[in-house]
Amino acid sequence: MIRTLIIDDEQPAREELALLVAETGAFEVLGCCSNALEALRLIKQERPELLFLDIEMPVLNGFELLAMIEDELMPHVVFVTAYDEHALKAFEEKTLDYLLKPVSSDRLQKTVSKLKETIRRGLPPRHQVAKLKYIPCQFAGRVKLIPPDAVQYIFSDLTGLHVVTAEGQFFTELTLKVLEERTPLLRCQRQYLVNPDSIDEIRLLENGLAEIITRQGQLLPVSRRYLRELKLHFEL
Amino acid sequence: MPLIFELLQQMAMIVVIAYLFSKSPAMNYLTGERLHNREKLVLYIVFSLFSIFGTYTGLPIQGAIANTRAIGAVLAGLIGGPVLGVSVGVTAGLHRFSLGGFTAFSCGVSTTVEGLLGGLLHLYLRRQNKLELVFQPVVAFTITFFAEVSQMFIILLLSRPLSDAIALVRVIALPMIFANSVGAALFISMVRDQKRVRDKIGALFSAKAFTVADRTLGILSRGFSSESAREMVEIIRQETGVGAVAITDREKILAFSGIGADHHRPGNPVASKWSQQALRENQVVFVNGYDEHFQCPLSSSCSLGSALVVPLQVDQEVVGTISLYEPKTKLFLNINRSFGEGLATLYSHQLLRTCYEEQKTLLVQSELKLIQAQVNPHFLFNALNTIRAIVRKDADRGRELLLELSNFFRTNLKRKSDMVPLEEELAHIGAYLEIEKARFGERLTVELEIDPRLKSLQVPSFSLQPLIENAIKHGVATLLDQGRIWVRAYRRGGLALIEVEDNAGCYCKPLESQGLGMQLVDKRVKNRYGNDYGLTVDCLPQEKTLVVVSIPLPKELSSDSDSDH
Repeated sequence: MIRTLIIDDEQPAREELALLVAETGAFEVLGCCSNALEALRLIKQERPELLFLDIEMPVLNGFELLAMIEDELMPHVVFVTAYDEHALKAFEEKTLDYLLKPVSSDRLQKTVSKLKETIRRGLPPRHQVAKLKYIPCQFAGRVKLIPPDAVQYIFSDLTGLHVVTAEGQFFTELTLKVLEERTPLLRCQRQYLVNPDSIDEIRLLENGLAEIITRQGQLLPVSRRYLRELKLHFEL
Repeated sequence: MPLIFELLQQMAMIVVIAYLFSKSPAMNYLTGERLHNREKLVLYIVFSLFSIFGTYTGLPIQGAIANTRAIGAVLAGLIGGPVLGVSVGVTAGLHRFSLGGFTAFSCGVSTTVEGLLGGLLHLYLRRQNKLELVFQPVVAFTITFFAEVSQMFIILLLSRPLSDAIALVRVIALPMIFANSVGAALFISMVRDQKRVRDKIGALFSAKAFTVADRTLGILSRGFSSESAREMVEIIRQETGVGAVAITDREKILAFSGIGADHHRPGNPVASKWSQQALRENQVVFVNGYDEHFQCPLSSSCSLGSALVVPLQVDQEVVGTISLYEPKTKLFLNINRSFGEGLATLYSHQLLRTCYEEQKTLLVQSELKLIQAQVNPHFLFNALNTIRAIVRKDADRGRELLLELSNFFRTNLKRKSDMVPLEEELAHIGAYLEIEKARFGERLTVELEIDPRLKSLQVPSFSLQPLIENAIKHGVATLLDQGRIWVRAYRRGGLALIEVEDNAGCYCKPLESQGLGMQLVDKRVKNRYGNDYGLTVDCLPQEKTLVVVSIPLPKELSSDSDSDH
């Protein structure tokens, strides 16, 4: 049984696919999500092996969802779409498979065979993952999409990850690792990412430590390990 | 007394000259309008000769000449203004001076003054905006009378010895004043009559031209074809009375009416070299019948002898000809010639217009096609997918949705007209919305607020669909929570307003960068009703997008003024 999540914003489509998937007997459906953020949460929780992923979804589409998943958690993906084959072409070689809506049982059966083969051979999912266009943040019951350019710095504490912009501080469910890999933000300390464009001054301290003063006058710590990378970045 | 008779004899001659003058091309210049330099030059020559002739035909009396020289100078001034008057006066005066005698100098001066007097009256009448009085014989009589009186005074003033001058004036004053004034009046009267005849012909001609244009333009607007040509040639022949009329396209005769219709048959190729020349060189070809004879290429017994062939063109390109013919026994009237040319110009304009209208219709049709083709394939496949899912749980609901879907596509495929009643447009988007509601479930609610009186309002077909599609694609489909759409139609001022509002506020771009569908709606409304109407987009980011189509409210719908909203 392949541990699976179904992600589609339309309820009838979701239900139909869940039924079809169940009929094959090859999947254990861990859950159905109606949007990317819900999916992101469930992926962290349930660590599925496979996603049936709709492309057109509100706020964040299927590709954007993939860009937010850490490599270690990355499941295999079967895209499900009504008409987007052309959008998929670029993805095709890297993705496992895609299905066109309405999905026929025969076609789904082929997907099952392919999947079993891939998983049997233990091939890791390899998706060409795009840079993050937005950092999704929760804000007053809505989702706020913050482009990485607008970020001054990001820090993590016990409550989670906080994105600081000129407008204020926002909570995001993404990890520092994903953000470091897929945005131009630089790590300066274990718990801090900084936007190189908002660095005003790097002040070197004793014993290999340093601190960053942002253009907004905020003081950020720099650890020994990341100072070297910072220096490399600025060709110091 | 004998002097009077002599002068009367001269006047008879003047009348003859005036008659000849009125028949000559110089007459064309006396239209009563402002004269151009070239026309003034012609008039100068004619009136100078006239004046000099007056001197020669005068009688020598006591070393002076009793004459009708004044008429030319005064009339030149009266008709052509002070410059012309003085020029003629000086010319005739110098000529008189060169002949000698004791009044040579005074007569030279007085002729110039007479020309000036005529010119001053001309100026005065023009300032008073009564220039048409120039052609009143009474006016000519009066001004010549005063001119001649002043001439007598000038002779008395300038000629010496004074006793001789007094004696001369005593003899010539009365006959000359009388003869010149009457002569001038006669001349003007002659010219005026001739002018009247011409004006009358001109008016008749214009009336005829208008009748023909009126009767044929409507026919031509239906297109340039054998049928329209057949009706047109009949009308043109009736109204002009020419021997025969033909209309051809580039290759063949479309219609022929009149003499020779037995062998000039519609469908025959364009045969005469003149018609071919007109087609080839895009030029008017005129065969007047005496310098060059029209020879029918089809039949040697054809009695047509003269022809006018005028090319019909659309946008510089010759599309055919229109030809007028007269039989060998009849002269081709100049009037009919200019008439034919004018008509061809008029028809060319009409053809261009027709052509333009056709293209406009084509454009609308292709735009409609485009809108139909724009129906999102996403919509179709998502709809099918939704219905497939619903059939599993609720077969009846699934069957209903299939009906909605087929209604929607049937309208899309079948509708050809540019305008439809709002009610029909609402039914169309209604089917669309039913399916989208099934697809999005509780995430989508739609509210309709339609002024019932507007249901019959004519709106551009497919004008609501792109708006609704946008509201869904860029509205509801992008929202995580409840998506709402409002469709409203109401009256305000002289406007019928149709609105589509959503609560997403995701579509905050100006109209120019909106989708093709929305832009076409705007363009079609503007094309039909003008730039004051059309489509506007209002957006509050994250709150709402409001798209409004404004259309002028037809009178019959604005009768009761209790516009709601």
